[in-house]
Amino acid sequence: MRTTLTLLAGALMGATGLTAAAQEPVTLQWQTANLTEEQFQPIMEQLLAEFQEANPNIRIEPIPVARKDHWTKFVTAAQAREAPCIVSVQVPTAAYNGYLMPLDEFYRGEPEAWQNAWSDEVLAAAQFEDELYGLPSWGGIYGEVYNSDLVEKAGLDANDPPKNWNEYLEWAKALTTEEQWATVVIGGPTDTTTRILLTWIWSNGGEAFNEDMTEATFASDPKSLEAIKFYLALATEEGVAAPGATTINYLEQTNLFAQQKIATMRNAYWGVAKVVIDNPALEGNVFVTAPPAQVENAPTVATLTADSISSNCEHPEEAWEFVKFSNEPKWALLRAQVANWMPLRNDLAELPEVQADPMLKEFLEIGRTARTYPLPHPAWAEISQDDVVKAVQEALLEPERTDEIFQKLDKDVTAKLNDY
Amino acid sequence: MARSEVSDVDVFWRAPGLRRERLYGYYFIAPAVLLLVAIIVFPLGHAFSTSLYRIRGLRSSFVGFDNYAKVLADDAFWHSLGVSLTFTSICVVLHLVIGLGLALLLNRVRAFKTVLRIAFLTPWMVAPAISAIIWVWLLEPQFGVINYLLREAGLITTYQAWLGIPNLALGSVIAVDVWRGVPFIMLLMLAGLQGIPKEQYEAASLDGAGSLQQFRHVTLPNLRYLIIVASTLDLIYTIRHFDIIAVMTGGGPVDSTEVLPVLLYNTAFHGNRFGEAATIGVLLLILVLAFSAIYIRLLKPGSATEGA
Repeated sequence: MRTTLTLLAGALMGATGLTAAAQEPVTLQWQTANLTEEQFQPIMEQLLAEFQEANPNIRIEPIPVARKDHWTKFVTAAQAREAPCIVSVQVPTAAYNGYLMPLDEFYRGEPEAWQNAWSDEVLAAAQFEDELYGLPSWGGIYGEVYNSDLVEKAGLDANDPPKNWNEYLEWAKALTTEEQWATVVIGGPTDTTTRILLTWIWSNGGEAFNEDMTEATFASDPKSLEAIKFYLALATEEGVAAPGATTINYLEQTNLFAQQKIATMRNAYWGVAKVVIDNPALEGNVFVTAPPAQVENAPTVATLTADSISSNCEHPEEAWEFVKFSNEPKWALLRAQVANWMPLRNDLAELPEVQADPMLKEFLEIGRTARTYPLPHPAWAEISQDDVVKAVQEALLEPERTDEIFQKLDKDVTAKLNDY
Repeated sequence: MARSEVSDVDVFWRAPGLRRERLYGYYFIAPAVLLLVAIIVFPLGHAFSTSLYRIRGLRSSFVGFDNYAKVLADDAFWHSLGVSLTFTSICVVLHLVIGLGLALLLNRVRAFKTVLRIAFLTPWMVAPAISAIIWVWLLEPQFGVINYLLREAGLITTYQAWLGIPNLALGSVIAVDVWRGVPFIMLLMLAGLQGIPKEQYEAASLDGAGSLQQFRHVTLPNLRYLIIVASTLDLIYTIRHFDIIAVMTGGGPVDSTEVLPVLLYNTAFHGNRFGEAATIGVLLLILVLAFSAIYIRLLKPGSATEGA
């Protein structure tokens, strides 16, 4: 009798345990640099609610972190093998360090039609050493954004925006008054400094690196050096850029634009969402064009944000479910419409919702010749956040030494590129 | 029971009185020692062992003292050490001079004594990162209150990028650190001032000593020991300073404010070179230990510098 009761109790406990295990939801942490951004809040809440409903056994826990602390927090957690399962980080650096899990198996396990939603070029930007480490989710194509009212006040024709540097400088001078500056030169300590610098270098047909990323050519490529000098002179010689360039980042740039202290900014579509939130009077009062260029079809920067899975993630299948879900066309479109984050799926461009948004259409048009960013090297995080920033700051402070400063940058960065 | 089977516990209880008391002492301090080992000795050991590896993310290889050779041969380290020493020496001197001045003032004030003490202590009570963010906005080139006030007062004609020009940036972070660090020194000095017997001032006064002479011959000798100890403590604290500079400038522009702790952080998290970052940490520790040795020597009973 006693044995029977014990067996029964054991069976009951086992069954209860199994049921509990079956019902116990798996909790996955999700960290990106953008979860705290106001323009993304409504989408994030809706996305999580609908995912939860569709997948009651998977619970997603967002990890809010300020943009500038995102990488530090991720690296610290990754070193302790405690990184959030789902992350969006610089793929080459994170993959090289072993922080990310290759996703090829998951990706290739999906239907072909689904796989085809991403072009090879877009996928390549989320690969490291021929393995896929992230599903490209959204991006930002850098264009030149203007304040229509200020352009009109300056007597300029918004229908005929600057196409080359000379025209841009003419506009910049006309847009600079006692009360405002035309633009900003970004030299603050984030990689936005590098993104913008690259748009200028590429707009002149220059190259900052050789093809296989083994050599930096900021100074050795004359077209590159010419572009750097023209761009920095906007602040150091022409007086058309707001003061304090060495402290100006994305935040300061968008604040100045929202306060109508500058008339134009080199930024992505999300920058437009940010300035409109900061100053609703700008709604409908901005327009975008391709960055002025000295050569035909000059590329601009298209940043790419990919959803990755950490190498320490204990539930990669569930994490992949979330990655797939958040990259469905519905969410890609919502991100574009609400947060102004450009979709990277190639099956959205022709949708009527995209076609009906003239600015989104314009950004997509500008993006036709864009090059993906970050550049594919594991040292990219340091090069883009430290080395290039320091050179830009030095050249802003001592413009007469620009050649020497960028020659040293070439030397230092080339050494780093080959130290991996 | 054979001799070899006698347990430690038996030994303990059979020990003579004084020895037993000593053993008791070891047992009592054991939890504290274990805690210190866990939170200080182990991390330090781990940091030292990290400094012997070339680390790239989750991959590492033993390189012995190569990181030390690399860091010591790197201009960035020596530049950063120079910035650290400049920052620390200016801050410590200003903390002391202003802190002592304010303490003398507060020691004489009769009305609103408590209100003034709390007011002067406020900067010290605010978390450093928060005060740094407040100062970043105050010093902001285009919208900052400092530029606005200076411009309205006619002291500047163009906007100053306080954190964007190397000398101004170093000056700004020093100013903020002084603003934050003075109250602590002021508090120590005030305690010291209140411990000076009034009779000494009365005697000096009877001998015809004026305020300055009283300060030089009564106040300073009485505070001498406290000044040395406070300065040494302040030096140890300031040379490790990270938060204010990390928030305000991140070490820039052009490394002009990159003190050693900020260099360490940038090497680890921007440069992805944890081994080298740990090496910088160990070298910084040696520097701090050198100052700590001076401090411990000063605290020794019968130290020649003892005055108050």
